[in-house]
This record gives sequence, C-alpha cells and structure tokens, in this order.
Amino acid sequence: MIATQRFEDNPCRPRHFKPPPCAAIVPDGPAKQALEACRTRLLVTGALFALVFAVVSLRLVEIVLFEGGTAESQLGRLRIVTAPVPSHADIVDRNGNVLAATLDSPSLYANPKQIVDADEATRKLVKVFPNLGAAEVYAKLTSGKSFVWIRRHLTPAEQYSVNQLGIPGLEFEHEERRVYPDAALTSHVVGYTGIDNAGFAGVERALDGVLKERREPLQLSLDVRLQYILHEELQRVIDDFTAKGGAGLIMDVNSGQILAMASLPDFDPNRPGAPDPGNPTVTVADRMFNRNTLGVYELGSIFKIFTVAMALDYGTSTLTSTYDATHPISIGRFTISDYHGKHRVLSVPEILMYSSNIGAARMAAATGGQKQKEFLGRLGLLKAPKIEISEVAEPHFPARWREVNTMTIAFGHGISVTPLSFATAAAALVNGGFLLPATLVKPPAGSAPQGQQVISAKTSEQMRKLMRLVVEHGTGTMAAAPGYLVGGKTGTAEKVSGRHYAERKLLSSFVGVFPINDPKYLILAMVDEPHPNKQSHGYATGGWTAAPAISRIVQRIAPLLSVQPVDETSPEVQRALMVESLQGKRIEAY
Amino acid sequence: MIKLSTLFWLVLVSTTGFAMFAVKYQVQSFEEDLNRTKKATIEEEHAIRTDEAEWAYLTRPETLDEMNRRYLSLAPIATKQLRTTLTDIPLRAPTPAPVDVATADTPIESGPPATPAEPITPASLQKPTGVAERAQPAPATATTKPVVSRRPKSLDELIAQVAASR
Repeated sequence: MIATQRFEDNPCRPRHFKPPPCAAIVPDGPAKQALEACRTRLLVTGALFALVFAVVSLRLVEIVLFEGGTAESQLGRLRIVTAPVPSHADIVDRNGNVLAATLDSPSLYANPKQIVDADEATRKLVKVFPNLGAAEVYAKLTSGKSFVWIRRHLTPAEQYSVNQLGIPGLEFEHEERRVYPDAALTSHVVGYTGIDNAGFAGVERALDGVLKERREPLQLSLDVRLQYILHEELQRVIDDFTAKGGAGLIMDVNSGQILAMASLPDFDPNRPGAPDPGNPTVTVADRMFNRNTLGVYELGSIFKIFTVAMALDYGTSTLTSTYDATHPISIGRFTISDYHGKHRVLSVPEILMYSSNIGAARMAAATGGQKQKEFLGRLGLLKAPKIEISEVAEPHFPARWREVNTMTIAFGHGISVTPLSFATAAAALVNGGFLLPATLVKPPAGSAPQGQQVISAKTSEQMRKLMRLVVEHGTGTMAAAPGYLVGGKTGTAEKVSGRHYAERKLLSSFVGVFPINDPKYLILAMVDEPHPNKQSHGYATGGWTAAPAISRIVQRIAPLLSVQPVDETSPEVQRALMVESLQGKRIEAY
Repeated sequence: MIKLSTLFWLVLVSTTGFAMFAVKYQVQSFEEDLNRTKKATIEEEHAIRTDEAEWAYLTRPETLDEMNRRYLSLAPIATKQLRTTLTDIPLRAPTPAPVDVATADTPIESGPPATPAEPITPASLQKPTGVAERAQPAPATATTKPVVSRRPKSLDELIAQVAASR
C-alpha cells in the first residue's frame, strides 16, 4: 500500500499506469493498530446510527399502531371553517313565529384607489341604488382615500346586483342587522335595537345580555295571533271614538304569562325614528311610549274591584252589607257623587254593578286607610311592576294616606298605577287569590308558577260572582260574549288637567275575565280620551267604548285558546255564579 | 444476497413513502372537501335564516287577514258553531254484522239483507246457516251477481267485496 501510494504520489508516473493488483498487504506493527482502531470506531458509529434508526422506527410503529387514535380525535387539528355566531339570538313567540331575527346584512364600501373608471362606476351604482346621489357617489369614489362607505345594510337582492356590476374596488363588509318581521305589531314588547344591535327598548334592552349569550331563540309568552286581534280591536275603538291612544293586554290568570300586550299609537321597530305616514302629527316619543308599563293612570272605577275585595277579605263587609248612596259625600274640597246614581241605599253587589262611587268610598272608609294601603301593597300596586321590559314606571299615591285619599282611591282616583300592575293584581282577585308575577317569557314546560296567596279563595270566588253580575246586569253588559261567561268591571276616569279633573277628558277602560266560572284569561282594554259618537248616544264611558271591544276580543280569541262555550242558562252555570244575597230580588237594570 | 435485501428495503421505503404522501394528499383533499361543505352549509344556514324571517314576514297576521279577505272570506268561528261537541252527536245505530255476499243473495231470509230485524231472528235458526255459509267458500254464487252493485255498509264488508272481486 505504501508502495502504491508512493507511486501515485509521484507526479512523474506514466498517465495510464496502474499498479498491478497484488495480494493484500497485511500490515503489522503500528499500521495494524491504527486500522483496528478505525474499525472499532466505525462499528460504534454504525451501532449508534442503527440504534437511533431503531428508536425512530419503533416510535413510528408506536404512533401508527397505538397512538394514532380515531379519525374524530384528529378533528381538532384540522382548520375547519366555523359559522359566525349571530351576535343576538332570535326572539320568537310562544308558537315559534319569528318576532326578531338577526340577519346577515352586508355593507358596501369602496376603495377609491382601486376604482378604474369612477364615472362609469357611479353611473352603474346609481342605477342599483336609485336614492343615492350621483354627485355624492362620484365625490366619494374620487376622494383618493382607501375606504369609503357607499351604503350600509344591503338586502340580498341589492348585494346580488352589485356583484353583477363587476366593478373592481367595491367590497362588502359582513354586518348583521336585527329584523322585525311583524313590524309595529309587537313593537313595545320586543323593542328595537340600534345600528350595532344593542337593545334600546323592550325585551331587546332588558334581556340584551341573555340574547347575546344564547344560541337558541328566546321564546316569549306572546301569541302573535292574539296580539293581532288585540291590536286590531284597540285600533278600532280608537278610530270609532277618535281617541288619543289606547292600551290593552291579555294575560293567563293562572300563570301570569302575558299573551298579548299592545299600546297604541305604536312604531315600526325596523325604522324606529321614522314618522308615521298615516298619522304624521303623532310624535315619535308618543309612539314609543309603552302605556302598559311606562304609563301610570288613575284608572277610575275598575279600581272598585279592589275596594270590594278588600272589604270582603278583611270581613268589614259581607255581600249583604248595605251602604247609603242617597246623597253625595262632601269631604274637604271634594264632592264624591255618582254618575247615573240610584240615590238609595245599595248593597255590596249593587255598588259594584252600578259602579257607585259613594258606595265604594263608604266601604273603604269603613275598612280604614291603613288596611287599604296594606291591601294595595300586598297586591303589588304600590311599587313598579316587575317584568322583562326596562320601561316600567313607579305608581303615584299620596304620601299621607288621609281619609279623603282612602275614599277617592276606593274608586280609583288619587292613585296612578300602570295597566300592567292593575292586570296582575286583578288576576289575583279571580284566580283563587294567588298573586303571580307577570312575565313575558314563556317558562320551560313543567315549571309551576310561584304564586303568593293575597286574598282568600272564598273572597276570590265572591269576586268572580260579582264581576259576572256587572256584565249580566250592571255597567258592563256590552262586554258580554254569549257562551264565554265574561265577567268584569267598567272604568271611566276623568283625567287630571292642571289642578282639576277634566270632565271631557276621559280614560275609559274595561277589565274582563273569561270564563268567569273557571277563570283562564284576563283582558284589559284602556282608551285614552275617547270622544262620544253617534252609536254610543253621547257616551264615551268604559261600558260604551272598551266593553264592546272586550266582547269582540273574547269571541275571536276563545276558539284560538280552545275555550269551550257553555250554555249560560244551564242550571249548573247559574248555580255556580249565583249570588245568594240577590236571590229572589228583582235586579234593577243599570 | 446483499443486493436482494437492498432491493427489498428500497421497495419498502418507496412504497411507504408513496403511501404516506398518498394518504397525506387524500387527507388534504378531504379537508378541503369538508371546508367546502361547511362553507356551503353556513351559506345554506344563512339562507334559511333569511327565509325564516321572510316566511314570518309573509305570514304575519296582517297579511293573512288581508289575503283571507281577498280570496277566502273565512270568518272567525261563531260561538254557535262551537256549541255542539262530539259528545252531543248521537252514536250511530249499531252496525249490522258483516253480511256475506252469499247470504245477501240467498232467498232464505225474505226482505232486504242486513236489516236491523236480523239479530232478532232466533239464534238457533240463524247461526247454523250463517256458520255453514261462511265455512264454505262460495265463489260460484259470488260470480253470478256483480259484487260492486251494492255499496258496502262497513269496512269489513268493503274488504270482503274487494277480496271477492279479485
């Protein structure tokens, strides 16, 4: 080897000379040692590499056979598109009809730096959006900025048209928009939202946080069909009697759920600030005002049901008690008199039937102011109503509850409450005495409402009979709906104007319950400043305005609520609603 | 020997490599498919949301009321329409026992077949004939008269008629 090396190293060797093969030279001495060392090192290195490869291959086998897991376990590593979650959950009625939905509503913007032909782009855009000003669009497109809004919240059809134009430099920004398919119908309950979908009123505002967190639609207790009927009948009363406004609600007396709640005039939550084309004189603030929860009113005679219930429940009166309603009562600067009074001694059922202010005042005075205040407080009438709407108002009542206050509050003057509070309390009078909190959200199936016994079951039964009398023989005969056993009470309050009660400005109302022998639903209708018309013979009282509406509403909603009509003259019904103290007596017509 | 093992390893490596890349690309294409489908689903979901809102808009009570007034003129259910309930409707007279086509044609019982008077006839007279007739298949008598000539009075009878006509 050494010889060969020496030979090859020799630059003078012949070009094609190769040393002839010869037998392997077995080195010895130090050369042998060096070779041995080399071999050992090679072996060690090879073994090391082999070991590493073995580890790698073992690991591979392990991964593939034992740690691979299922296909599903690998899903997390995949980059999969996920649907953008709408910022607010939908709102639906009790039957699942959409009341508010969050829809994709792309907004169109332009990057003027990329616009090639601003002239042509303007012409095309104005064709798609006829109410965009050509000059304005042109100015935007030639502004030299890199971002200008062309139009916010496009409809799917508009987006399609813009895409069809094929203008480079026009882009869409994903945005969401709250849409209210029923428009004004449920406006005061559902409320409305601002441009960034933040709730500004109604359920949208009060339950904004809940709607943000939910994925599933929020189900309200409202029934759109009932809401429509209530809305339509209220509107009819307002039109018939040229009233300023009206409000009404339908409540399930056994659960406190509100099935319909309308306040007129109302607004379109899709365009909350827009003027009403049909009635431009009504201000936006007036239309957004929820009379049911934010308005406090001296409701007048319908309050007498509380006076009678109070006297019966405290035992200060019985159904046979009588009160002298011959002469008006003069107390302080007030004179309490009767509208169409009987001018004689009246029994408790007669006081309610003929709506005697004098009788109610005397009943309340006999019970006492302290008890009256305690009783109204127990019914929740001395605090703001609690419901899933943020627009609620505190009631107004005298700080010092004097005798004159006791007497006027007995017939619904001197105390202002919201119609909602009134309805909640009235439901407790007829449903067996349970005060159930009013709610707008449909509770999950199977949950029982948590009520509080506020009057005895016996008083409740007596109240049902008395309220039936009002409709059978008293001031509320026009609320009768054959077969559905409506019971109720009329109310006609004079509105305060300045420091006096204005005789011409009335607040007429009716609270109806049906079927009164087994109360299921309560309807409250209230008309603000109705004016007498020819059909009403110069009357604009609750019995002539709101009561007929109640009759119509009952007849329309009862089949929807599967309330079976009964024969009102059947002995069972007559016996169930019999007032013993009036048996055998001739009942004078109102 | 060395060459054979080298070849074996080479084949193994290249097959494994190929298989690995094949699987990888397949997974990638599945991923793309999945994403495409997901995107399409999302678009569909958006379309459904829009359609639901549109449906709610088109079926709002106001529109339905107007449509009804224009095309159907349906009126709310009047109270008198609801006065009678199912329980008020008298029960139907007891239906006669299914009569065989053969019995109907036999002149043994004078009078129309399946009269209410039939059950009154003494059981001793009636039963054996009925059982006998029913026991023996009577295709000959059934074909003599068209079976459809009579309207079936009960479902059983109708089925019997259909069976006989086949």
